[in-house]
Amino acid sequence: MRFALAVLPLAVASSLAQANPVSNLNISGILNGGYTVRDSEPESIGGYPLSGHGGALPEGFWLDHTELALSANVDDLFYGKLTTVLESHDGETEVELEEAFIQTLSLPGGLGVRAGRFLAEVGYLNSKHAHTDYFADRPLPAQAFLGGHYFDDGVRLNWVAPTDLYLELGAEAFAGTHFPAASGERVGATNLFANLGGDIGDSQSWQTSLSWLQADADPDHCTADAHDHGHEEEHEGDYEGEEGHDEAHEHGVDICGFKGDRDLLVAAAVWKWAPGGNFKYQSLTLQGEFYRQEESGEMAHDDHFHPWQQTSYGGYLSAAWQFSPQWTVGARGSYVEPGDGYGDDKATAYDAMIQYNHSHFSTVRLQYTREERDIGLTDDVLTLQYVMSLGDHSAHQF
Amino acid sequence: MRTSSNLWWLLLAAIVAGPAQASLRIFACEPEWAALARELMPEATIDVATTARQDPHFVQARPSLIAKVRQADLAVCTGAELEIGWLPALLIKANNSALTPAGQGLFYAADQVEKLDVMAHVDRSMGDVHAGGNPHIHLSPERVLLVADALALRLQQLAPAESAAIASRLADFRQRWLAAMQRWQQQGQPLQGMRLVAYHSSYRYLFDWLKIEQVGDLEPKPGLPPTSGHLASLLAQLKSQPPQAIVHTPYQEAQAAEWLSEQLQVPALMLPYTVDEDKVVDLFALYDQLLTALGPLAANHAAG
Repeated sequence: MRFALAVLPLAVASSLAQANPVSNLNISGILNGGYTVRDSEPESIGGYPLSGHGGALPEGFWLDHTELALSANVDDLFYGKLTTVLESHDGETEVELEEAFIQTLSLPGGLGVRAGRFLAEVGYLNSKHAHTDYFADRPLPAQAFLGGHYFDDGVRLNWVAPTDLYLELGAEAFAGTHFPAASGERVGATNLFANLGGDIGDSQSWQTSLSWLQADADPDHCTADAHDHGHEEEHEGDYEGEEGHDEAHEHGVDICGFKGDRDLLVAAAVWKWAPGGNFKYQSLTLQGEFYRQEESGEMAHDDHFHPWQQTSYGGYLSAAWQFSPQWTVGARGSYVEPGDGYGDDKATAYDAMIQYNHSHFSTVRLQYTREERDIGLTDDVLTLQYVMSLGDHSAHQF
Repeated sequence: MRTSSNLWWLLLAAIVAGPAQASLRIFACEPEWAALARELMPEATIDVATTARQDPHFVQARPSLIAKVRQADLAVCTGAELEIGWLPALLIKANNSALTPAGQGLFYAADQVEKLDVMAHVDRSMGDVHAGGNPHIHLSPERVLLVADALALRLQQLAPAESAAIASRLADFRQRWLAAMQRWQQQGQPLQGMRLVAYHSSYRYLFDWLKIEQVGDLEPKPGLPPTSGHLASLLAQLKSQPPQAIVHTPYQEAQAAEWLSEQLQVPALMLPYTVDEDKVVDLFALYDQLLTALGPLAANHAAG
């Protein structure tokens, strides 16, 4: 307060001067890092890759998803956004372009077009940036079926209905260069989605989503990095981890050996509540997603392909209770049940977390995860994480 | 001077009025702007994004609001970064070509007036400070008048057929508002120089107008909730010369104000902050109730 009073006369004086025309370029940086204690680092669940961007939290210190974003209205017709993400694993730091898209502002009739590289509108979480999540890592099905999150180069057309009940329909077409797609076709993945939402009184809001992602997979174009076979040398010293890795291999098959269509259906629902709709002091968020993935085509095996038809399932439910302006606790359960061809490798994870937000711009989170695998692995994972934002305040999606 | 030139514009706009048009659909970010729009265009369909019980800084960019923004001809918001955490997300998701920076459909009240506490230098270590100045401008009656002028002009551009009607409603509103301002000024006279503690800088403009001094803020820094450490230091600082009262808005928790009020033996008041459905029916009622609530403190002030 003393400080504010000292600033007051200065502020009043400066208010007399004309405020500088504010540049419309938004620059924001997200610093995300942590320290994780765990017994083993799972590479995959039944062949689905868990490593890499948005995957399982690595042991020790990590910097994942440190991002730098630029966004602005390009002119009166277009908006543009560029997001680069730094990820480091196995001692290497990579810069990845996560978003580079333009979005129309002035199409008539509630239509919009987005083009470039962007996060696909698959389910609820996929189109959101990981730093806005309530947990340090994405739920198991998002890691297994979407490689943490699916973004690709392509185009989106969407339409918002002129109704009081929120209804959005959209279609996306992508190059198919990122997992779960691995395509050499011109259009390697398509996605159809519908979002429906509304309010119940002043205190409650809800949204449900349905999406259908069809991805083309071709071993010649596979970029999924779970089955890097040079890997064993790198982890020689890690006895426990290696054991788990080998066991997964015995049962699993190579995700990159699949040739065919990978269809992913995701149904999602989110419900938020705050007393009187005032989110400053208390709020409750419940969300859940259900995934059904069907692979139909062929699987490589000893230099030949054999027919392959698999249905895998996954899902999660989470709750986050903000009980004071600065404190939130959360719980989550998630599972992935790969199809029979991937072996009996059902995986479940139970998470509990507590986070402290000093201001709107800083979060420190402690998360405990219990991972259980049908192949006989269990792990207790403890993570201490920070997420801090620099620069412009970006608006959060629902 | 400003008034008469505005009236000329309104008259001119009324003369060149275009063909009749269905009434406008207006998306108001806060209840105060919904109330102002209703004064000028009562037949418009007006959606309000927030209630008097919601902190306008912390609103969810929820589906129902996207649906409302989608259908609006005009969005009337405060601006000055008040809605920065949610309005941009609504605008980008709603695909409404009328509400683009280039269109006529975005109206920011704070852009129409001079703001207090504009910062030449802003650092996040100072808290969640708005570089463009304090956005709670509807608690300055003079600024409300300027916003009304500008909003009337914008409504006339969007609904030329209604121009004459809007002009006459603006003239009527101005007359009633100026008369009310005289009354409020008189009521507020004894409050001059009064010292208050408030939560955040929500009443910055009202205090500026009534020449009330805010001697303490329950927030340690703007946007941060009250802490026991900060309240203890406020108590130490104010013990020798306690304020007349501790005030907060309906969307701010009363706990901190009540604790300090007990310690200092001064009243804690929840003041109205904005128009609130049937409790505070319009902008006139808002100021009437604010001055009625603050009035009894004047006696203590005079005595002290």
